[in-house]
Amino acid sequence: MTTPNTKTNEAVPMSRRRFLEFLGKSAVCGGALASAGSAIGLSETYGPKRGFQQNDEQYAESVNNPPKIPDYNWNDHQWAMGVDTDRCIGCLRCMEACKMENSVQMDAFHHRTWVERYVYLEGSNTAIVDSQADPKNIENTGSETKFRFDNRYRNVKVDKAFFVPKLCNQCEHPSCVQVCPTGATFKTKEGPVLIDTTYCIGCQYCVQACPYGARSFNEVRGVAEKCNWCYHRITKGLNPACVEVCPTGTRIFGDRNDPESPISLFIRNNHVQVLKPEMGNAPNVFYKGTDKEVV
Amino acid sequence: MPKHIVRLLVLIAVVAIVVFSTKKFLTPDTFYQYGHYRGDAVAEIASKIPKLQGSASCEPCHKKAYTEWTDGIHHRATRKGAIQGVVFKYGPGCEVCHTGPAGNHPSNEAMPLSIEDQVTSITHPEIKVHPANVPGRKLMLSPEDMKGICLNCHEKMEARPIEQRQIEVASHSGEELCTKCHNPHSPRIIYASLPQGRRGNAQAGKAIAAACTGCHGEAGMSTSPAFPNLAGQHFDFLVDSLKGFKTGIRKNDMMSPMVAGLNESDIRNVAAYFSRFSCGVSGGDKAKAELGKAKAANCAACHSAGGLYGPGAPGVSGVPTWPNLAGQNAEYLASTLKSYQDGSRAHPVMTSVAKTLNDADIDHLSAYYASMKCK
Repeated sequence: MTTPNTKTNEAVPMSRRRFLEFLGKSAVCGGALASAGSAIGLSETYGPKRGFQQNDEQYAESVNNPPKIPDYNWNDHQWAMGVDTDRCIGCLRCMEACKMENSVQMDAFHHRTWVERYVYLEGSNTAIVDSQADPKNIENTGSETKFRFDNRYRNVKVDKAFFVPKLCNQCEHPSCVQVCPTGATFKTKEGPVLIDTTYCIGCQYCVQACPYGARSFNEVRGVAEKCNWCYHRITKGLNPACVEVCPTGTRIFGDRNDPESPISLFIRNNHVQVLKPEMGNAPNVFYKGTDKEVV
Repeated sequence: MPKHIVRLLVLIAVVAIVVFSTKKFLTPDTFYQYGHYRGDAVAEIASKIPKLQGSASCEPCHKKAYTEWTDGIHHRATRKGAIQGVVFKYGPGCEVCHTGPAGNHPSNEAMPLSIEDQVTSITHPEIKVHPANVPGRKLMLSPEDMKGICLNCHEKMEARPIEQRQIEVASHSGEELCTKCHNPHSPRIIYASLPQGRRGNAQAGKAIAAACTGCHGEAGMSTSPAFPNLAGQHFDFLVDSLKGFKTGIRKNDMMSPMVAGLNESDIRNVAAYFSRFSCGVSGGDKAKAELGKAKAANCAACHSAGGLYGPGAPGVSGVPTWPNLAGQNAEYLASTLKSYQDGSRAHPVMTSVAKTLNDADIDHLSAYYASMKCK
């Protein structure tokens, strides 16, 4: 009489139990792969682009009957922004101009765009990060309405340091739009994620959902607040306010449909990356010169 | 069908009709036009009026400042390289420093409430104007404001790229305001075109100068090597020095009481009187002067006609608020440097410079500048 060999797999015939086990595992793995692929944009193809979460009828409508904006058709553009961190001098003029342009609250804690300072002290592998909202930086200027970095690293040895401007990434798959219960925030066909302030109920789900912390809550207006690449400016052929005032050309803005636009040249001629690619949001702000610590 | 079931169905139908018609009534026509949002909102947000108007919008009214800017380094500071040689960006424009955007100016009518602000006034009727729109943000900047504005970009700081021009405030200017030497619209100093201060009347100064001639000589060439020659000295420097004695920033047992009785216009007049004379060379020890030449390279940035940006006659200061040294009495120069060392005279730049010198250096430098041509 032979004893069944339970130690090795070869000798065991495919039992019903094992077959079902295999079936279940492969279904789980396959499903995970498929969803991961779509999350990082692998399943997308080039060609006429459908808006975020649009059905066929709505897509046809957005092509044939675009919003009535004078001298502007959203089907003609695909906006994107570049940030060349090698050039940023941390003057925070972008932040001040943004607040002026968009009537954002004039304090250090509400902002649509901001700048972070990453400093690696000598012998350290981790960056110390601060921004204009740091109490020491506020104390330095003596006012929350004047934005300036203090010079706290004057007398210490610094390995390397750089500034990183941050703003809303206007993601291809915006988490904030997915969670909005009222349809107050939405992704336009040509890129920017906008907020319809008359529909926002101030529930702040979107503030929680954003992986980049790009949204804030405006207590005065009772609505969520975020960068929209100055949609009222770009639809009139102007640059966003932060790009307009940046004195060093750190911020680059343009239309990806135009191969000779500043942003197309920037992306083509530089090695660029996006923040937190693992989140699957597919951002439209491209960074040059950041460390992996920058998220 | 039983009666109670019929009633229930009717009730459900009525509720359904009410709910659906209410939803139909409350949902705007454009809500599902392009997606799960109000289609009209896109055009509404786009209709907001831009506030930042760009530098060109300043030109019609502010021609002088605009020309200064377009001719200056702030306008021409282009950066190439990020996208392979394409010049895509000029240096800071008007609204970078004058951050009350042009749309906020000259009147509030020029800037209607934005959509967000209209929402504010609906949900919070007590708030009439949004804080960011309140005047108070000054478009015209005072020299004191300017310092903060300049340092926003030009303070030497870790994390700033080295291509950016940066200054160590303490050694560059100390407490001095940036606008003393720089025109913010065109900050690179072109020495020849520096604005002249308000002049005094040399004729009126002659009567006051009578009291000075005992030490400083009839024509500004002093009677003793311990006192400075004044002939041909910069008018602005003489005014600053006299004011310094008057306010106590500079202290001297002779000069302080002499100046105490002079008013603003007296100071200008007497400064004009002495600065008009042609200067003379008092001369110094040739061997020492030769030794001082190398050391004087450190002084050339301020005390030479070319300044930071080129060669020029040594000892003739390009900026009128800094003194000419060429031809000055060696003994006086040496005692001045020593007074910076011991703290009896103080200046943000000179105090730190003087402390780097030893007695021999001072001796050599004084001889060097005393023997330089002063014209």
